[in-house]
Amino acid sequence: MISVEHLTVNFGPSVAVRDVSFTVAEGESFGLVGESGSGKSTILRTMVGLNRDWTGKISINGADARSAKRRDLARIVQMVFQDPYASLHPRYTIGQQIAEPMKINGIANPDARVGELLDLIGLGAKFQFRFPHELSGGQRQRVAIARALSLSPRILLLDEPTSALDVSIQAEILNLLNRLRKELNLTFVIVSHDLAVISYMCERLMVMRNAEPVETLSREQLRAGEVHNDYSRQLIAAS
Amino acid sequence: MTGPLVDIKNLRVAFRNDEGGYNEAVRGVSFSLGREKLGIVGESGSGKSLTGRSLLGVLPPYARMSADTLSFDGIDLKTISPRQRRALRGGRMGMILQDPKFSLNPVMTIGRQVVEAIRIGERRLSAAAARQKALEALESVHIREPARVFNLYPHELSGGMGQRVMIAMMVVRAPDLLIADEPTSALDVTVRMQVLSILDELVTQRGMGLIFISHDLNLVSKFCDRVIVMYAGRIVETLDAKHLHDAQHPYTRGLLACLPSIDGSLEPLPVLNRDASWLEAAS
Repeated sequence: MISVEHLTVNFGPSVAVRDVSFTVAEGESFGLVGESGSGKSTILRTMVGLNRDWTGKISINGADARSAKRRDLARIVQMVFQDPYASLHPRYTIGQQIAEPMKINGIANPDARVGELLDLIGLGAKFQFRFPHELSGGQRQRVAIARALSLSPRILLLDEPTSALDVSIQAEILNLLNRLRKELNLTFVIVSHDLAVISYMCERLMVMRNAEPVETLSREQLRAGEVHNDYSRQLIAAS
Repeated sequence: MTGPLVDIKNLRVAFRNDEGGYNEAVRGVSFSLGREKLGIVGESGSGKSLTGRSLLGVLPPYARMSADTLSFDGIDLKTISPRQRRALRGGRMGMILQDPKFSLNPVMTIGRQVVEAIRIGERRLSAAAARQKALEALESVHIREPARVFNLYPHELSGGMGQRVMIAMMVVRAPDLLIADEPTSALDVTVRMQVLSILDELVTQRGMGLIFISHDLNLVSKFCDRVIVMYAGRIVETLDAKHLHDAQHPYTRGLLACLPSIDGSLEPLPVLNRDASWLEAAS
C-alpha cells in the first residue's frame, strides 16, 4: 500500500530525515516513534506533499508521490494533525469544514455526506451548524477525523492524534480510530512519542532518532522485550 | 516552623458568564501542605491550575476569588498588600510553567535572565558575584557547560534544557514553596525523567514544599508523596501516592483504566462514563 525507499528530507543545510525506508501493507497500522526533532512528522508531511525538498521514492497505492496529481493523491491519503485547536478554521462551521474537500473535488451532494460522516464519528448531524470554539478538544479532533474521511481515502496519516487531549478523551479517540480502521478497512501510519499508544494501535513500528531510523519492530517483539538497540530500550524504560 | 506551610480552606474561583452570573471553576477546595511533594491531578478544566495560581496571586483580574482561609507559612494571603504579595512571589514562592518556549524571554540571553532573577532578590550583589551565582545555579540543574549556556538565547536550547533553566531561575532564590504547573508535559519521555529527578533532588535537598500540577496520574504517583484528584472544580479524592492503585473514587479508577500500556490488552479501552453525582461529591 505504501512504500518509502531511501527517503531523505533537507531543510536548507540541515537534514531532517536521513535514508528512511519502510513499507506498510493494506489494512496495516504502522507506528513511528521518537523524540521531537527525530523527523517522524516530517515523513508524514512529505508523504502528503507538504515538503518539496526531498530525495528517494515514495509510492502510495501504486502512485508515485512526486509525479501523481495532488487531487488524485488526496483521494487516497489524508492526514489528521496534532492540535485540533489549530487545524480547524475558526470561522467555518463544522459542516463547512467537512464539506470543503468534497467541494474542491467536485463530489455531488456533499451536505448529505457531512451528516453521514458526523454520525460515523459519533457526534451526530446536528453538530454541522456549530463553530469549532463551541466544541471540546476531543470533539474537535473527531471533526478533524471526519474531514480527513470525507474523500473516502484508503490511508490515514495520524500525526500525534491524541497528545493534545486528556487521557480520558485519548481513550475515546483511540477506540474511534480502531473502529473506523476495521469498518472502512483503512491503513494507518501513526506518529507518536508515546510507546504505549503505539503498542496499542500498531502492528509494526519504527523507532527514530536524530533523523535516522533506529530499528523496526513488530508489536510482539516490542511486548516480548526483543529489542536490540539501546535507545529503543531507553524509550521503553521511560514510558 | 510550626503549622502547615500552606493552608487552604474553601477556595472558590469564578468567572463571569454571558448572562451576567458567575460560573465557578473552583468550588470549595481545601487542603494543607507541609514540606512535602503534593500532586494535583485532573483533566483540563478541573481547576487544578487555578488552584495553584490563586495561591500565588496571579489569577487574571476578571476572576473572582474567595476563600475562608488562604495562608502561606502563617501569613494570611487574603489581607496582605499587593506589595507584600510581590515580595513573597519569586522570593518565597516560585512557579514553573509548562512550556519553556513561552516562559523565557526570547531576546535575552539565558545568563542575563538568571542574573536578573538573582538580583531582584539581592540588589547589592556585584555583577561578578551574580554571574558566579548564576553559573552555580545552572550547574545545580545539571547543565554540562554552564559558561557556554550562559551566553545562549532560549531558541538555541532544547526543550529539556530550557525547562532546566526555568527550574534554575526559580530555585536560585531558595523559595519555601514551588508550584510546578505541568512542568514536563512539553518534554519528550526520555528527557522528562531527567528533569523530574533534578526537580526531586532540589526539592528534597532544600526541604521545599512542592505542588506538582499534572494530568498524568501515573507520573505524579511515582514522584509525589500525596495526590489530590480534582474533578470539575472539586477534590474528589486525596490519596497516598503509594496506594494510588487502591483508589476508591470511580473517577480516579476510570482515569487509571483508560491509559493504554505497552503490554496491555488490545480490546477497546474503557471510557469514562461521567456520573452527575461526581459534581456534588464532598470535597
